[in-house]
Amino acid sequence: MKGKTSRSFFERITDNLAASIVIIATVVLAVGTGLAAGPSQVVNSIVTGGMWALLAVGLALVFGVMNVPHFAHGESFMVGAYVAYFVFSPIHKSLQENPNAFLSAVAPFLAILAAGVVGLVLGVILERLLFYPLRVRTKSGWVMNAFLLTVGISFILTNGTTLTLGPNFRGIPRYWDVEPLQFLGVRVAVDRIAAFFISIVSIAALWFFLRRTRTGRAIRAVSQDETGAQMMGINLNFIYPLTFALATALAAMSGASLLFMFQAYPTVGLKPLYFAWYVVMMAGLGNVVGAIVGGFIVAVLQTATQQFVGIAWEDVIPTAVMIIVLLVVPSGIFGSEVKGVQEQ
Amino acid sequence: MNMEQKNNAEAWGAAKAALEKIGFSPLGLLLLVIAAILPLVPPFNQEHMIRWLIMGAFLAAQSVAFDFTSGYIGVVNFGFAAVLGLGAYTSAILANTSPVLMVQPGISPWIGIWVGALLAGLVGLGLGWLTLRLRGIFAAVMAWFVGIALMGVVRNLTDLTRGPLGMNPQSLLDTTANRPYYYIILAMMLVVYIALRLVTRSHFGLAFKAIGQNIEAARASGINPTKYRVLNFAMSCMFAGWLGGFYAHYFGSLTPQTLMHTSKTVEVLALAYIGGRGSMWGGMLVAFPFVFLIEFLRSNLTELPGLHLVLYGALMVLVMIFYPNGVAGLYTWLVSKIRSARSKKE
Repeated sequence: MKGKTSRSFFERITDNLAASIVIIATVVLAVGTGLAAGPSQVVNSIVTGGMWALLAVGLALVFGVMNVPHFAHGESFMVGAYVAYFVFSPIHKSLQENPNAFLSAVAPFLAILAAGVVGLVLGVILERLLFYPLRVRTKSGWVMNAFLLTVGISFILTNGTTLTLGPNFRGIPRYWDVEPLQFLGVRVAVDRIAAFFISIVSIAALWFFLRRTRTGRAIRAVSQDETGAQMMGINLNFIYPLTFALATALAAMSGASLLFMFQAYPTVGLKPLYFAWYVVMMAGLGNVVGAIVGGFIVAVLQTATQQFVGIAWEDVIPTAVMIIVLLVVPSGIFGSEVKGVQEQ
Repeated sequence: MNMEQKNNAEAWGAAKAALEKIGFSPLGLLLLVIAAILPLVPPFNQEHMIRWLIMGAFLAAQSVAFDFTSGYIGVVNFGFAAVLGLGAYTSAILANTSPVLMVQPGISPWIGIWVGALLAGLVGLGLGWLTLRLRGIFAAVMAWFVGIALMGVVRNLTDLTRGPLGMNPQSLLDTTANRPYYYIILAMMLVVYIALRLVTRSHFGLAFKAIGQNIEAARASGINPTKYRVLNFAMSCMFAGWLGGFYAHYFGSLTPQTLMHTSKTVEVLALAYIGGRGSMWGGMLVAFPFVFLIEFLRSNLTELPGLHLVLYGALMVLVMIFYPNGVAGLYTWLVSKIRSARSKKE
């Protein structure tokens, strides 16, 4: 989307041997897992894939536009999960006393939306409070400084949550109390389908926003050339908070819509963060479209590992695969779209 | 008389220069002597206080090894704790004689520590070779991934490590007293500091600094950045593994969660940055009071778990944004102020 040529993403993939091999291997792996474990595993990996993609898109956006390797992305996920819990459970309780079909269908969306709004606000606050002063002080060594700053944020948010809310788990069994749907003989819980659609819709909305609106174009301009964008009258002090807020909101929404899978507790964000980073590194730092495809690739790899090796090796096998991939294509399979992957 | 004074001044100057070579100012030496006699003086001679001192020296040594990489070549080793854990587990497994585990080589911990260090160094070498051709952030994130993977391996190889149940490696000394251990870790801290200081004083140090400041300029002046960065990274990892060996044979209990988790790396990172990046001694100085502060908070505010960690993070963020030179920078600033005031008087 930010390339200098007008070739489409798919044309670029067919030109790219590494990407083709990885995608074919992923499809084979997905089919293999499906044959060995039944189609439910495939559905599983599609749902998780959507979520990893949503998280990874936020990471890629923040890195592409602000050059911030965001390590506190998982904490946005955590905040979203907590917000959804605290919005949803009171409504749920009152619904049990006086049932209301409409409200019980809408309540989950309310919770997820609330998480998104809190994410937006949190993103703006963090950007203004922390990244802005750092940017004012110095631009040298920015990537590393920003990275460490997000590490500090993550540390504060995780431990601050433990301090205020305690280390206990807060979860819900499900959002919608309805029968699972049938797909090709597979029973899929409505929550999973909803989570998948929320991620797809959010990604599509973001895509539309970046491609078709004036502000979105401004964001892309900043990611291509900061100085040039400034000369065209784009206000960086508006673009940076906006980008950061968008990414935080996306992560918070995915945390909220996955509340039935990941209960809310202070360090819940670590695993999503790990996999989102894994997607972004494998797809190419800052490459937003690559992150979407990468999300599904990683999810398939993860499901296959669980299926064939054991869930305990979930951390080990993907890393091994990643090391092999990065040995061959150091800037990720779809290529990094950040200015200067080599050290500058 | 005059002659004698001159001689004294010369001797003082020579001694100072010799100290300077291994990275100590007279004040630093004084602090070191204080650290050495501290466990003999009440109230610090109580066993739990000595434990805190040991923790302080252990963290201090870690922060030196960490700052050697992050402060000089600008690469943050995010898998530092995991590499340290690798050293610890290697040494512990080599020393193991317990029939619960699969292998029982029973090698003395005094030897095993070195094997652990060597292995950690090799892992650092491989990891650095793989990632340090790219921007520093790649190395940081990859080190993080490898760290998580190492932790996963340790958790899963239950025949060797008992997984999350934890190992109980044999101890280094036949004593339950803490004081001997304190002197061992203090000596190890000094070895790490002096060794790395000597490296940074050599032409390697110049290359490291050049790379950290401007990699393109360094490359233009004929330095091979990858070579020096990998070397630096491997050295830091080696010392991490070495320190891990001490941890294993002192605390006598190893679990992947308490040793190799990312939050452990963040603790060291925070110390190194609060101390002042690129100074190496800053983190070492800060570690001791910090451990005391944190243990004090932890034991007195039990109803507020995690407060000390929030303070850690907040302090780190503040230093990062507003005072990047940390405590070491503060010291340099003070010294220059005093000097200029003195010269004005004259």
